[in-house]
Amino acid sequence: MQVTLKDFTKAFDDLVVIDKMNLTVKDGEMLALLGPSGCGKSTTLFAICGIHRINGGQILFGDRDVGELPSQKRNVGVVFQNYALYPHLTVFDNIAFPLSVRGDSEQAIDRDVRAMAAMTHIEDLLHRRPSQLSGGQQQRVALARALVRKPDVLLLDEPLANLDAKLRLEMRSEIRRIQLETGITAILVTHDQVEAMSMCDRIAIMNKGEILQVATPTEMYRAPVSKFVAGFLGNPPIVMLEGRAEAGRFAIDSVSLPLPARLASTPEGTPISLGIRPEHFGREGAEAISGVVSFVEPQGRETLFDVTIAQGVVLRSIQPVRSDIALGSSVSWVLDTEHLLPFDANGQVL
Amino acid sequence: MSRNFAFWPIILVLALITAPLAIMYLFLAIDTVTTSAPGSFWPTRFTLEHWRFLWDAKLTGDVWGPTATTFIFASTMVVIVLTVSSTAGYAISRLNLPFRRLFLSGILVMHAFPAVTLLIGVFLVLQFAGLYNTLIGVILVKTGFSIPFGVWIMKGFYDQVPWEIEMAGVQDGASRFTVWWRLILPQVKPGLLSLGIFVFIDGWSEFMLPRILAPSSNFDVLSTYLNRVSDPDTAQYNFNLVKSVGLFYTLPILALYAVFQNRLMNIFSGGTKG
Amino acid sequence: MRARTSMLGMAFVTPALLLLIAFFFMPVALTTVFAFTNMSTATGITGGSYVVTGNLLRTLGERGVEPAVLEVLEQRVFAVDPKTLAAAASAGVEPQFLAEIEQQLLGQSFDTSRAFEAALKKLPSRPTRTRDLKLAAEPFSRAILNTRYNSREEIGAAITSLAPAASAETVGQITEASYTGWRWVEWRNFSTLLEKPETLRILGNTVFYVTATLAFNVGVGLFLAICIFYLPQKTGGVFSVLWLLPRITPVVLYAVMWKWMTWENGFIYNIAQSLGLPAFNYMKGSVPTAWTIIILLNGFIGASFGMIIFSGALRAIPAQQLWASEVDGATRWQQIRRIILPQLRWPILFVTSYQTLSLLSSYEQIWLTTNGGPGSTTTVWALEAFKAGLSNYTGNLEYAVGAAMALVLVIVGIVLSVLYLRVFRFDELVSKPKIEF
Repeated sequence: MQVTLKDFTKAFDDLVVIDKMNLTVKDGEMLALLGPSGCGKSTTLFAICGIHRINGGQILFGDRDVGELPSQKRNVGVVFQNYALYPHLTVFDNIAFPLSVRGDSEQAIDRDVRAMAAMTHIEDLLHRRPSQLSGGQQQRVALARALVRKPDVLLLDEPLANLDAKLRLEMRSEIRRIQLETGITAILVTHDQVEAMSMCDRIAIMNKGEILQVATPTEMYRAPVSKFVAGFLGNPPIVMLEGRAEAGRFAIDSVSLPLPARLASTPEGTPISLGIRPEHFGREGAEAISGVVSFVEPQGRETLFDVTIAQGVVLRSIQPVRSDIALGSSVSWVLDTEHLLPFDANGQVL
Repeated sequence: MSRNFAFWPIILVLALITAPLAIMYLFLAIDTVTTSAPGSFWPTRFTLEHWRFLWDAKLTGDVWGPTATTFIFASTMVVIVLTVSSTAGYAISRLNLPFRRLFLSGILVMHAFPAVTLLIGVFLVLQFAGLYNTLIGVILVKTGFSIPFGVWIMKGFYDQVPWEIEMAGVQDGASRFTVWWRLILPQVKPGLLSLGIFVFIDGWSEFMLPRILAPSSNFDVLSTYLNRVSDPDTAQYNFNLVKSVGLFYTLPILALYAVFQNRLMNIFSGGTKG
Repeated sequence: MRARTSMLGMAFVTPALLLLIAFFFMPVALTTVFAFTNMSTATGITGGSYVVTGNLLRTLGERGVEPAVLEVLEQRVFAVDPKTLAAAASAGVEPQFLAEIEQQLLGQSFDTSRAFEAALKKLPSRPTRTRDLKLAAEPFSRAILNTRYNSREEIGAAITSLAPAASAETVGQITEASYTGWRWVEWRNFSTLLEKPETLRILGNTVFYVTATLAFNVGVGLFLAICIFYLPQKTGGVFSVLWLLPRITPVVLYAVMWKWMTWENGFIYNIAQSLGLPAFNYMKGSVPTAWTIIILLNGFIGASFGMIIFSGALRAIPAQQLWASEVDGATRWQQIRRIILPQLRWPILFVTSYQTLSLLSSYEQIWLTTNGGPGSTTTVWALEAFKAGLSNYTGNLEYAVGAAMALVLVIVGIVLSVLYLRVFRFDELVSKPKIEF
């Protein structure tokens, strides 16, 4: 089921937090709402599932405008950050709850709950209570409960935030598997770029109540529309240098760096923010830049280097482990000019 | 908690200031089953004669009738207070109401406000309503007085239930009533139990309202019964008998207190009498 | 967007609201209203009737009502008319005698019983006994004096029929004065209170009672909480259980226990006697001992409240702070003064203010023990209000005076509780519902 937000507006008292937002989630797609905390992503989620009332615009499930409907009539499945399992009910009764309030027969409930439990691999846990389950198992129960009603849309609110690192990895692929198996339209709210990139078909990145860019993870990483998007995606993060255009190049203090060829005719003195991802320095490219290694951070498979090329100007490079370079080494590494990300004074990509 | 200091000086001082209490309660128990020589407190003989009032109605009047009435009084109160507080507490904790803030402030003011000052007003209300001198009138008044406390306590218990449970229930297609009844109420069961016990004890102990609002009625509760028995002008007056009646009256409370002590602590800190 | 009003919510608060209206708002309103009346046992509560008494006639005469009218009102007239005949028939006067009365005397009226009885004696079927004759005459009497009328109109009609000469104004004045129900008296109850020398004394008693009990409650509560905090859990538990007993003990039994402690032949009495100290009924025998007992018996109930609140606050102090101070070489006293007490400032303020209010209005324990005595030395405001309005030995309850005194407490109570609400920011405990539908 396609989900569409049209001019969706939300205010708390007089404070408008989301103003005329537009977004389309395609049928069967898993879309991430990614952004820092307080960007309005949870507000959007709550509006879609009917916990918040909207102040303007429409929320469409297919052609059905659900904007004025309470949650009960929207047919949305939600997985909450803390799973919100009903502590006094067994796993079976937790999953059965949506069916029993709908008035399904006992046989139907039993059949559906067992099918759902099989899909989420929790057949053996049905008689336990939530307090007797691990975090990952609780997550599976929450998923099963959200999906058992065959909802039109599945909403996931930071579903992995309460899991430890190892379980998080496991559940990432599990959630994706289940979403693909059921073919349900899903929206994942997260502040974790790795989650968004690894689990979703597309990412909608939000900041201050606005959607900045909607794109596939690769596309968004490769071609961010703004400085904010570029800075938000990527680990280790992008290095941002503030300077100006000078003779078709980028000048910062006394240092001159190349710009992509398309910017050769930028007017003299235009302020430019130049973003350089660590993988684009020190691997391939035309122009060599020299400097002194001022920081080394081994990360196991790779090593991260900070290279000071002038007073206060530091580039970052990530490379396969190298034993020949230590703190204080002088290096001369190449810069991949065409992959540099230049932004104007307003943070928009040039 | 901390082991760096000696305990015995503390215990000594504590024991000293606790002594009057300890003596009173100790002799409350001892005196009901012993006799002692006049002018002395040391029990000389074990006896059950002070408990004769249980089967001998000639002594102080039938005690089982008042016991039943007290039980009805306290249990009715528990039922009403729990019902009214668990619904109203939920509403102000979780539901959208006009003037919700005002209502809650009002509840708080009434909670802190000493209801006994309203006794004259309540007396008049009962007179006008034709409920003066009736058991039902007294129960209603006592219940009404307990409502602000009950609603406030229940609101506190509801506040501790995660919102997500409520949201999940709504997402699962349940009405708010179903959510309350099947998902939220089970979470506050311990709270309901504590409040219920507290209210029961409160109702069981109540003396003022039956005495003042139903002075010439044909029912007695144990408190008014005990008050009558403990009138020094009565013929059979003696402390051992009065204490036996008093202990009989208080035993259910002591039992509840012994079993549910920790639960009651929670509620006591919500504040009640002086 | 405004959250949608929940119909379920409205239904859920309604029962509570009804009970609160019936037993909080209405009583406050009635207390306020009737503080400005003269309602008492004599006037009744639900309204009165109209009665002209001999006393009233005298008062009216002093107020300058025409003596002629008053004289008429005092009279008893015997009239034979269809109405009185019917009354006589239903009173059981012998039918034949009645027929003769009707035949011979219909339409006549007599100013005195003597004249009427003389007329009756002339009839052939008259009863032989004088007593029966008087009884038969009675139904024919018509008088206003000491007759109860249920409405203004009835008594007005009666007056005009007896004294047709009376002006409407006079009739109105008499009617008004004859009303036995309660009336508005404006501020009279309050001005009487102000004038009574007793009031000042009761006020003083109240202040003393509240201050002393409060000091005991907070001081002992604090002491207990700190002691229990330092003791091993089990030992501390024993003391806290003991101190909670007075709180759950029914007040009637609690009063009995204190009587056993302090009356003649009571516990202290016997000990004092064997030690050769003055032995008497300490609860009623002297003012200082009466006060001591009242403060102690209330204090033993109240101290546990402070104990619980303070214990809670103490448990919230991170243990590391205490360990750190011990490592730094602090003595126990220093630890209490420098670390514990400063963190208990809010709880102490809370307990103080909360108990001020409940002590101001409490009188149950005093009522059941000293009952305000000896004399009225331990009578506090709340007890006096209660006694005036609801409980005294003479049987004439001055509801209105009680209401006026209670009103003072009600106002103090409302002001203080609103104040506490502000100071302790209880209103911040209200957060908006998160589900807006």
